[in-house]
Amino acid sequence: MIEIKDLHKSYHMGSNSLHVLKGINFSVKEGELVAIMGSSGSGKSTLLNILGMLDNLDEGEYLLDGVPIKNLSETKAANYRNKFLGFIFQSFNLINYKSAWENVALPLYYQGVNRKERKERAVKHLESVGLGPWIDHLPSELSGGQKQRVAIARALAAEPKVMLADEPTGALDSKTSYEVMDLIQKINDEGKTILVVTHEEDIANMCKRIVHLKDGVIMEDTLVNQVRASAHVQ
Amino acid sequence: MFSRDLWSEIFHSIKNNKLRTFLTGFSVAWGIFILVLLLASVDGMKNGFTKQFNDDATNSIFIYPGATTKPYGGFEAGRRIQFDNEDLDYIKQSFKGYYEYITPRFTKSVTARYGNETGTYSARSVNPDHQKIERTLINNGRYINENDIKNTLKVVVIGKVVADELFKDEDPVGQNLILNELSYKVIGVFSDDGNEREERNMYVPVSTFQRLYGNTNQIDEIALTYNPEFNFAEAINFSDNLEEVLKRRLMIDPDDQGALYMNNYAEGFSDVSNFTTMLSVISIGIGMLILIAGIVGIGNILVFIIKERTKEIGVRKALGAKPFDVIKLVLLESVFITSISGLIGMIFAMGVVAAISPIVDAPAFSNPSVDTVTVITSTIVLIVAGLLAGLIPAIKAAKVKPIVALRAD
Repeated sequence: MIEIKDLHKSYHMGSNSLHVLKGINFSVKEGELVAIMGSSGSGKSTLLNILGMLDNLDEGEYLLDGVPIKNLSETKAANYRNKFLGFIFQSFNLINYKSAWENVALPLYYQGVNRKERKERAVKHLESVGLGPWIDHLPSELSGGQKQRVAIARALAAEPKVMLADEPTGALDSKTSYEVMDLIQKINDEGKTILVVTHEEDIANMCKRIVHLKDGVIMEDTLVNQVRASAHVQ
Repeated sequence: MFSRDLWSEIFHSIKNNKLRTFLTGFSVAWGIFILVLLLASVDGMKNGFTKQFNDDATNSIFIYPGATTKPYGGFEAGRRIQFDNEDLDYIKQSFKGYYEYITPRFTKSVTARYGNETGTYSARSVNPDHQKIERTLINNGRYINENDIKNTLKVVVIGKVVADELFKDEDPVGQNLILNELSYKVIGVFSDDGNEREERNMYVPVSTFQRLYGNTNQIDEIALTYNPEFNFAEAINFSDNLEEVLKRRLMIDPDDQGALYMNNYAEGFSDVSNFTTMLSVISIGIGMLILIAGIVGIGNILVFIIKERTKEIGVRKALGAKPFDVIKLVLLESVFITSISGLIGMIFAMGVVAAISPIVDAPAFSNPSVDTVTVITSTIVLIVAGLLAGLIPAIKAAKVKPIVALRAD
């Protein structure tokens, strides 16, 4: 699903240049649940940005579902993001004046789906994350865990190939974190490829594979025995 | 393009920034308000001037004789020029199709008496065409006709003021009026839109006065109107031609400025048109300058809103919003605010104009109004202004990197 060969990325700040990713080789097969771990400055966010087509790579190759991702125009990148990727953010990034279902329907809006069908599909996804009764609520009327579940429903709405989660539990207490991870595991069980960036051991252990990044290179790439989050959820 | 979602987003940001939207909208409304009022004022001035000129037919030319200032053709300078009936006939024959109406005119002061009432008035001797040239309105009875001219009848058409002064409440038509001890029959009473002074005059057939006073064929002045289909250049050309021909006939140096006075209304009218057109241009210019302040204000508020919404725009882009989607959102919002506030300004201005218009009727300023052209122009200006105001903020918004959305705050 994802193939990365010899990926390099540097940032230039004035005369200084910061080499963030120093030759990453990495591939993800369909249906995997991968945790990307590393301390801050390890380059894990940069890697996720490049995977998410939010940032351009300097050197190397990136294939997403067989499609080469390089030097895309803004419009093309927007198109690919919409079609291939679903994003889950640490701070949820819901649009605060839109109701839960309108937030979920937003990726469909940019696909040009009509309003009636958008609502149907959004409601279906909200029900699948257990938010059926909350479809008309504004984000401000929801708890943190509920907000993240809306965000997950939104990431699912466009039926993406890959879901990218950037510290999805970073803003949640541990009980809610486990609930969210339980949901992510269930989505993965249905065959969706998911990448989770995290710095928490317990969250990483709930994935099937852990990639350790340090100073812009992969230190360790191991398959783990998945800890089911449902065990922690009453 | 105009889906419900787009509108709801536009309304949302307006709702969230009510005061700022109102204040900037006000500046645009004010700009349009002033622009429309200025244009209406120019229109009022134009109406005022046109009314002044409309006293007489706007295509009229008056020819007055003077005295030569240059010796020519064996004559010394200082010779008085005198027109006569033959000169008039000559113009009629030479310029067929160029003129519409033509009349001789000479004025005599007369003492008029009816019963015990007497007064001194000007009597103008004319032919029937004069009615059209002077735009005389007959209230009662009739004007001089060809029969009066042919038979040199002693008939008179009197102005409303004359009728009021001499006849009081009586109907003057059919009565006998004594002018310089000779009895004339009153055949009509006239009024004149242009001025009341004109209504102190009276008109008699030119042939009658020529026979009675010296048995001459002399004329003081000639009035005519040129073919109304002529444009300005043709009208000027015709009057130049006429002057040249008359000078040749009357043995006047072609360069003599004092012997003949040609008073062509086309020239004066054209000056007025140029003047009012210039005023229109100036007022549009001023209105636009005021509008620019409004546009800058709207641009300003939009830049601010976009700064506030940077993260949201980033999220949208991460979810698949194309740069054009973002530009569209900002531009529509801008056009929406400018159009609505502009419309409000325009409606207010039109209300003020409609309220004032019937009241104001001064000589140089009368019945200001807003025409369709003004309304359409202002609307187009508003939409363009809205697009311009939104342009910089829209480009700024389109440049927002989706990456910022990923940064935890």
